[in-house]
Amino acid sequence: MSFSEKGKLSGDDIHLTPLINDLDTGIWKYNFNTREVKWSTGFYTVLGYQFNEIECSVNTFFEHLLYHGDKPAFTNAINNRITDAPPLQLRFLTKKNGYQWFETTIRKQDDENGSIVYGSLININRYKHNDLLSAHNQATHDDAFKTARLGIWEIDTQNVNTIVLSKQVYELFDLQNQLNLSVEEFISFFEPPYRPVLQNAINNTIKHSRPFDIDLLLRSAKNNMLWLKVKAVPVINHFGKCTAIKGIVQDIDNEKRKLLKLEQSINLLTDQNRRLQNFAYIVSHNLRSHTGNLQFMVNLFEQADAREEREEIFSHIKAISESLDGTIEHINEIVKIQTEITKERKVVELEPMFRTICSALKNNIEAINARVEWDFSQCREISYIPAYMESILQNLLTNSLKYSSPERQPIIKCYTLAEGNHIYLIFEDNGLGIDLERYGDKLFGMYKTFHNNSDAKGIGLFITRNQVEALGGNIKVDSTVNVGTKFTIRLV
Amino acid sequence: MIEERNPTNTWIVDDDSIYVYGLKKLISIKGINTNLSHFINGQEGINALKKANENQQLPDIILLDINMPVMDGWEFMNEFAKLKPQLGKNITVYIVTPSLDLNDIHRAKSIPEVAEYIFKPVKISQLTEIFSQTQYQTNERIRQYGT
Repeated sequence: MSFSEKGKLSGDDIHLTPLINDLDTGIWKYNFNTREVKWSTGFYTVLGYQFNEIECSVNTFFEHLLYHGDKPAFTNAINNRITDAPPLQLRFLTKKNGYQWFETTIRKQDDENGSIVYGSLININRYKHNDLLSAHNQATHDDAFKTARLGIWEIDTQNVNTIVLSKQVYELFDLQNQLNLSVEEFISFFEPPYRPVLQNAINNTIKHSRPFDIDLLLRSAKNNMLWLKVKAVPVINHFGKCTAIKGIVQDIDNEKRKLLKLEQSINLLTDQNRRLQNFAYIVSHNLRSHTGNLQFMVNLFEQADAREEREEIFSHIKAISESLDGTIEHINEIVKIQTEITKERKVVELEPMFRTICSALKNNIEAINARVEWDFSQCREISYIPAYMESILQNLLTNSLKYSSPERQPIIKCYTLAEGNHIYLIFEDNGLGIDLERYGDKLFGMYKTFHNNSDAKGIGLFITRNQVEALGGNIKVDSTVNVGTKFTIRLV
Repeated sequence: MIEERNPTNTWIVDDDSIYVYGLKKLISIKGINTNLSHFINGQEGINALKKANENQQLPDIILLDINMPVMDGWEFMNEFAKLKPQLGKNITVYIVTPSLDLNDIHRAKSIPEVAEYIFKPVKISQLTEIFSQTQYQTNERIRQYGT
């Protein structure tokens, strides 16, 4: 059956029939009352058939041509009361190319012949394929970005307050809703020390079209700490001015943390290396100085004839032997810093420990009539390596006693301070003081002595600094010549 | 003709008293004709130099240690270089140290005022060579200028 055959188009419309049949579009028509079906020649053609090659019937349409999965959509569309239903995309079985995508319009009309539904059918297979392909590509991209934990952002320089973020950025930030964020809000997700870094980088890109690539620590909406790489390039206009910034953020947490750990090991190695160098320094300067003197004295001894002369030389040899022992003791102390760091920290009660040290140095204290005061009320005990703490307290006390001023009664104060997350140990005296401008950088160096004290060894503060630093603290000094010295040790 | 031998002036700037004792002993044993003065650190040495310049008692030789309290050998050389144009005498400075540290050796070599870097313990042959050289220079000078 065709539109021309039965001549159902009447009157003025008759001359439209050949036109309709020429179209690369199929026209179909169904009468609910008579159950009569009509197809245009184009209907057969778009499906790949010759005119009348298949039977024009409801049965053919539903059971043979229309894909069973698309039946419900079609029946719904023709049965509902809406006169102008939107076009439907359906799959029909073509003669040679299997199922293909078609689009049909659906129109309804009630006239004297009954209730009629009709529409035009066109092949949209190519567009539909492209659609599906691009949807598939999009999904693939999404998966790739998701796997790479990579998000995209963009700032328009015309509107520098807002930042456009891709879905993945919201995911990285643990944000449920894809809210619009201002640049400032975006930056506020990073930890405080990194905020100015990012702000400056963005400003620099806008002003000087400079790309950037920085690693920043993020605190997500769920309080997760995450290292992100934030990278951006400027988009410039013909005049070279930056019109937009296109950037990415990528989760590099794993790599970054490994890197930081590596850096930590390098620092540790550098520390150990420094200690080794110190070790070599002692050998090259001090041990050699003693052995050189020993050699010198032995030679002289051999050449000396007089008995008194020999006795004098021998007394020097004895002195050298003692110094040699002292130097070996220093080496031992430095080695001990290395070995003791592996020992467990224990809770150290400061006051009893300090009292013990004071009584051990009682003679030295009384000899110069020094007053030693202490106050550990702000922090009475601390988890530390006991041997270190003992050595630190003893070194600083000895130091203060040794460099007391003969012009006044020595007053030495030792106390603790708790400030914020840190605990400080303070050691104050009213002794000779030291010219920090001149010696500041050398004060904690090895074998650096600054006063003409015969018992100055230049090892105490060196050991102290190493012990403090080995446990992650630091030591600072304030001093005024002839007024006094104050050591501030950040223990933790 | 027997040449009149004027004693040279030798300054030791060193805090190692045993070494200084030994050096003095050695010089007396070897009969080296020199007047020895000892300063226990760089600062004392510099102070003495300023004073000696006024009194025309400057040394011919300075045997300088590196590691000393108050003012070490390097700081001494800085001060010495500043002072040198005003000094009325050509003073030969030897750095005498136990240090085998290459950094120290290179640093000493980079200072033009340092004549030589000598390891402690000083060998007797080295010592006699230093003094005979200076003795020769002193005698030459006296022959030429009469002072």
